Amino acid sequence: MSNGRRFQNGLHTVRGGKRGPSLSGAVLLRRIGFSGVALATTLPIPVLALSVSLLREAPPARGTAGIAVNAECDRATGAGCEFHEFTFTRAIYSSPSRERGGFRGGFGSWATDYPKADLQFAMVMQRLAQHLDIAQTENAVRLDDPQLRRFPWLYAVEVGRMALTEAEVTGLRSYLAAGGFLFVDDFWGGRQWDQFEQNIRRVLPNLPIVDLPLSHPLFTSYYNITEILQVPNVGNARWGETTECYGCDPAVRAIFDEHGRLLVLISFNSDLGDAWEWAEQPFYPVKYSTYAFQLAVNAIVYAMSH
Amino acid sequence: MESIFEFLFKYRPLLFERGDFAFSAPRGVLPVALALMIGSVVIGWTYLRARGRSRPVDRAVLLGTRVLIFAVLLFCLFRPVLLVQALVPQHSYLAVLIDDSRSMHIADDGAEPRTAFIDQQLGMQGELTRSLEDRFRLRYYRFSDVARRLPELNDLAYAGRSTRIGDAIDFVRDDLSGSPLSGVVVVSDGGDNSPDGMAPSLLPMKAAGVPVYAVGLGRERLERDVQLTRVETPRTVLQGSAIAVDAIVSANGYGGQQAVIDVEDDGRIVSRDTITLPEDGKPATVRVKVAANEPGPRRFRFRIAPREGELVAENNVQDAVIVVERRREKILYFEGEPRFELKFIRRAVEADSNLQVVALQRTADSKFLRLDVDNADELAGGFPKTREELFSYRAVILGSVEASFFSHEQLQMLAEFVSRRGGGLLALGGRNAFSQGGYAGTPLAEALPVVLDERDRALHFVELKVRPTRAGSTHPAMQLAESEQASVARWETLPPLTSINRITAVKPGATTLLTGAGETGEQVVLAYQRYGRGAAFAMPIQDSWLWQMHADVPLEDMTHERLWRQLLRWLVQDVPNPVVASAAPDQVSPAESFTITAEVDDSSFVRVNDASVIATVTAPDGTVSEVPLEWVLARDGEYRGRYTPREPGLHDIRIAARKGDVSLGEDRIWVNSTESNAEYFDAHLHSDLLKRIADETGGRYYTPATVKSLAEDVRYTGRGDTVTERKDLWDMPIVFLLLVSLIAFEWVYRRARGLA
Repeated sequence: MSNGRRFQNGLHTVRGGKRGPSLSGAVLLRRIGFSGVALATTLPIPVLALSVSLLREAPPARGTAGIAVNAECDRATGAGCEFHEFTFTRAIYSSPSRERGGFRGGFGSWATDYPKADLQFAMVMQRLAQHLDIAQTENAVRLDDPQLRRFPWLYAVEVGRMALTEAEVTGLRSYLAAGGFLFVDDFWGGRQWDQFEQNIRRVLPNLPIVDLPLSHPLFTSYYNITEILQVPNVGNARWGETTECYGCDPAVRAIFDEHGRLLVLISFNSDLGDAWEWAEQPFYPVKYSTYAFQLAVNAIVYAMSH
Repeated sequence: MESIFEFLFKYRPLLFERGDFAFSAPRGVLPVALALMIGSVVIGWTYLRARGRSRPVDRAVLLGTRVLIFAVLLFCLFRPVLLVQALVPQHSYLAVLIDDSRSMHIADDGAEPRTAFIDQQLGMQGELTRSLEDRFRLRYYRFSDVARRLPELNDLAYAGRSTRIGDAIDFVRDDLSGSPLSGVVVVSDGGDNSPDGMAPSLLPMKAAGVPVYAVGLGRERLERDVQLTRVETPRTVLQGSAIAVDAIVSANGYGGQQAVIDVEDDGRIVSRDTITLPEDGKPATVRVKVAANEPGPRRFRFRIAPREGELVAENNVQDAVIVVERRREKILYFEGEPRFELKFIRRAVEADSNLQVVALQRTADSKFLRLDVDNADELAGGFPKTREELFSYRAVILGSVEASFFSHEQLQMLAEFVSRRGGGLLALGGRNAFSQGGYAGTPLAEALPVVLDERDRALHFVELKVRPTRAGSTHPAMQLAESEQASVARWETLPPLTSINRITAVKPGATTLLTGAGETGEQVVLAYQRYGRGAAFAMPIQDSWLWQMHADVPLEDMTHERLWRQLLRWLVQDVPNPVVASAAPDQVSPAESFTITAEVDDSSFVRVNDASVIATVTAPDGTVSEVPLEWVLARDGEYRGRYTPREPGLHDIRIAARKGDVSLGEDRIWVNSTESNAEYFDAHLHSDLLKRIADETGGRYYTPATVKSLAEDVRYTGRGDTVTERKDLWDMPIVFLLLVSLIAFEWVYRRARGLA
């Protein structure tokens, strides 16, 4: 499965790239098609009924973020390449080695829900924010990769399992200082919080983590979000549960810089990624997927204007 | 030349010009002449008879010579005379105008100032005075900015701050009208400061036949002088701007040397630049940077330190009043889609307290995000639908929004925003901008400085290396560093950007400041043109934010912020208010009046002709006077009045316009009243002006070396009662020389031919 990593600012390849060297040479089509269900974009958002064809969450090439450029794309002239203003970008970060084995065939926690959540997210975004020009592809980039700077909006999942290298700490710090925005999601409980906080403290040592009040403009930048919901993972959703741990209340927190600019948006005790990934499943409750998409759109619109 | 002529011909060429030639033979001459003629015939016949050893040619030559000799004698016998009209002495007046201005103090020739000539020649015992007094009744006058009678030479103070020769001649003509005036003598260095020129004063003199004789003092070129001729400054700037001022410098005798130009802000030195002085006689423009940090009317003084041996130091200083405004300029930035460019432009100018970027971003059809608005009602209806609403902004930035979003009326309004309102418009690149957005053929396309191709709707994605053009590398808004070289070097290091609107042609009259080089050739990256009262800019790139985010740009680098701050400040520079006032001139001498002009529009920037406009002038001492301004009739919306300052200093003028009980707006300007040093600028001898004065009126031009002949020349060329003078020509040395040379020639020829 190809990485589909962004190279130019938003420039992406037409899908159909090769797998990384460690995988078989089968070319994978991950085109997601729609069945003919109409989508109403007014509130509340109904869940899209998607017919998924040939969908496979294939893990990325191990430990690399290779540039997959299709043969037709001429980077210099732009011929054969597509351009989009916004690309949903997922951070590739390091996790403790013992953890990695249990995830996605050996690829660290960063690849949770990847790439289905990313692709589904992109497609829904296009319907919701009609004028947002979003690339219909996944894009995973390492934190220590200079190319990260071409994507000022970044998502990181399962950050309770982060173990950043020094290069990744420097990379993320400079990314945020230059003007980047980070949205972290899907980590639960005290132990995972501590793990995340330990890492983010290395990145931003002097900035406090604060609760984001519902009065903050981010909650009204596109949709009016009036309450914080706990979005369950797909397993819990099936059983009607929302939480992964006892006493874990959902929270939306943030880190601001000294000028009051929002650098990091933290969704704790909530799994937005699964909501994006499984929204089309009949058992997945509409209200959670709705909320998850709403929060995402708001985060994008806010981060692209502030 | 003239002295040789005078030696040979006994009289000066002037007499031959003015006189008529005649013979005035006495009656008794006729028989003598007859006898001579018979005698010459007889002699001729004897020559023909006597052959001797002579050949025919010899005889012809000798005969010819003898005949010539006789002719010359005959010529003298008939008493040739020159008849000239000479003024009758003491019958008429001669006005002597002496330049009483400060420039007369200059000592061009090293030791003596120009005043020395006056003391020597025009004093009681002066040679010129005596020669003139013999023949004329002299009337002395002194002049600088005004002319007055001069009872005594000692009354000359040489303190005049400007020179108006035309006015002086008018004064004399008036003063001596009714008296017989033979001519006017003007003694000056020709440095005339009158704004209107000489023609109105010279024509009446020419019509009356009164010649003006000009005596030019000083040298055509000051040997050692540096002059700061002019500084060009904007009238108003926003606080915190760096002003680039063009100073015009000329020098004589110091070409290529370094000089220091200081800028003082109300007495405090705020900047110091080192410049290279240009070659002799060739003025050069140097750019001086001044920081405008203190708000209010600032009196800036530009000064080049006087150099050793410099003849005139007073022309090294120029003053200018620049109003530094502490204002928040409102700019409307409309984006048709969520884009990172909006975020980073807002961030770049966030810290600039003089800029307010009001952002309107379309996130869905009929759904807009409004940022930095003044109140909840602002832009509540989306993009402004009335001129009044749109014109309340001083600049508009259009992002990626398709032309079909706007109604035709709104597109028209956008074009009028620039042409009529005088605002600044910046069109950014994007997938819905320029031709790709369908703007070709719309009223907005008229305003834009670039050429749009109607058929080109495709997206041309290309990576461009952006560089400034020649015009861009010197433009203040494109400076990325303190010096031009450092700025150009910085431009080279910036990472490439991308564009999807391929724009390669600008309109005639537009200026390209930045170009982008890509695989498909060169494209326009930033261009602008003046359109009506305002200016329109096109910047067909879509991700200048890369200059902030790119990994190659250091975190502490402020290029992106600097560029956008400068660009947006330029966008709002000189954007007019509904009421715009100006003063002409904006620096006056005490007691010199100036005109206050106000251009009055309503809130839709339509000119108003029935407004009541009052200018309230506060003098430096605090006295307040009101000057009503009247509509000029010839131009819509223009009102004028005059005011004369009674004391030196900065005058504060507030102009308020009302229509009924509705206030249309206000403006505030300052005029500095200060002693002028105009006398010292271009203080060399202006002989061409003086020559022109003399030529047009039938007079002549003199220098101190040639002034001896002035008295006599006036005698022959002046107007008034004349008497005919007869000047004998027979005793001209040249006649004698001719005779002697003919005789000598004959003798030499004879000897040479051996004819005895």
